[in-house]
Amino acid sequence: MKGPVREVRLWDPLLRAFHWLLAFFVIAAWGLGQFGPARMTLHFWCGYVVAGLLVFRLVWGFVGPAPARFSHFVRGPEAVAGYMRGLMLREPSYWPGHNPMGALSVIAMLAVLAAQVSSGLISDPDDYINVGPLASYVSGATRSKAVGWHNLGANLILVLVLLHVAVILFYRYWKREDLVRPMITGRKQVRED
Amino acid sequence: MRLIFTAAALAAVPLASLAQDDPIKQAIEARHGFYQMLAINMGTLSGMAKGDLAYDETAASRAAANIEALVQYDLPSLFIEGSSSSEAQDSAAKPDIWSNPEDFRTKFAGLGEAATGASDAVRGGAGDVGAVVQKLGGACKACHDNYREKS
Repeated sequence: MKGPVREVRLWDPLLRAFHWLLAFFVIAAWGLGQFGPARMTLHFWCGYVVAGLLVFRLVWGFVGPAPARFSHFVRGPEAVAGYMRGLMLREPSYWPGHNPMGALSVIAMLAVLAAQVSSGLISDPDDYINVGPLASYVSGATRSKAVGWHNLGANLILVLVLLHVAVILFYRYWKREDLVRPMITGRKQVRED
Repeated sequence: MRLIFTAAALAAVPLASLAQDDPIKQAIEARHGFYQMLAINMGTLSGMAKGDLAYDETAASRAAANIEALVQYDLPSLFIEGSSSSEAQDSAAKPDIWSNPEDFRTKFAGLGEAATGASDAVRGGAGDVGAVVQKLGGACKACHDNYREKS
């Protein structure tokens, strides 16, 4: 019933570059936001890069190679439940791309990051040095609230990233499937059916 | 009947003035007034630093002198019991202020430090104003990060 496992080219080079650049700039932005200098110029630039990366990913989700397309990996609740039934099995998933459960994580991360970029652009923390470039286009109440949303977003991103890393470790040590290497080399063991 | 209404209306007068004299409300209004004055002068300086306002040495120095004068006021004394965001309406003061009064005072002292000599430091050009705004803004941020409600 199960087809043979073989190694294929799965993740295209642009998608891999996107992944690691996003990881780098999100971590940099987060760290600068929490611990960086009072003048947040670098944090702002990290945010602009993240915005650009998100635009790329959105476009790539429609015109990129099959494994990058939203239509390829975003599935209904039935597919998610079906995938999760085999989650605890101590064997690799050999899934050819984002699995239905991982797709939820992908969508959650992209959505939260997009919201985070948006709230950052309109934030005004009333310190006269770190005012979002679009803050003057929204009301005073909104640009003040946006600072709160931006803080909440930072916590959500932390949770999502830690969950992401935890699941990668779970696959590596419980399911004995290395998901990091394919994101570097692009090549992954997948099961044909 | 009319007498009753009149009596009731008269009886309400002291109540109304009592609300006016509520020390918590007064303290919060005074804080907001303080920040408003700070904001008006910071607005002048940051406007010049960004180039939204033409640099004017006299105006810059006056705004900076106003800020120097404002930070002499003992602002932390206005953060009286019962005036935190969890207890009073219209307050953005986090309850953390009352659990870390020392640190809160240190943060305000930081603003005082940043403002020291500002009225002279802004003389010269927009670049000089920028350096002062950086220092003052850093002090604003240091306190807002921990003690200001973001809503």
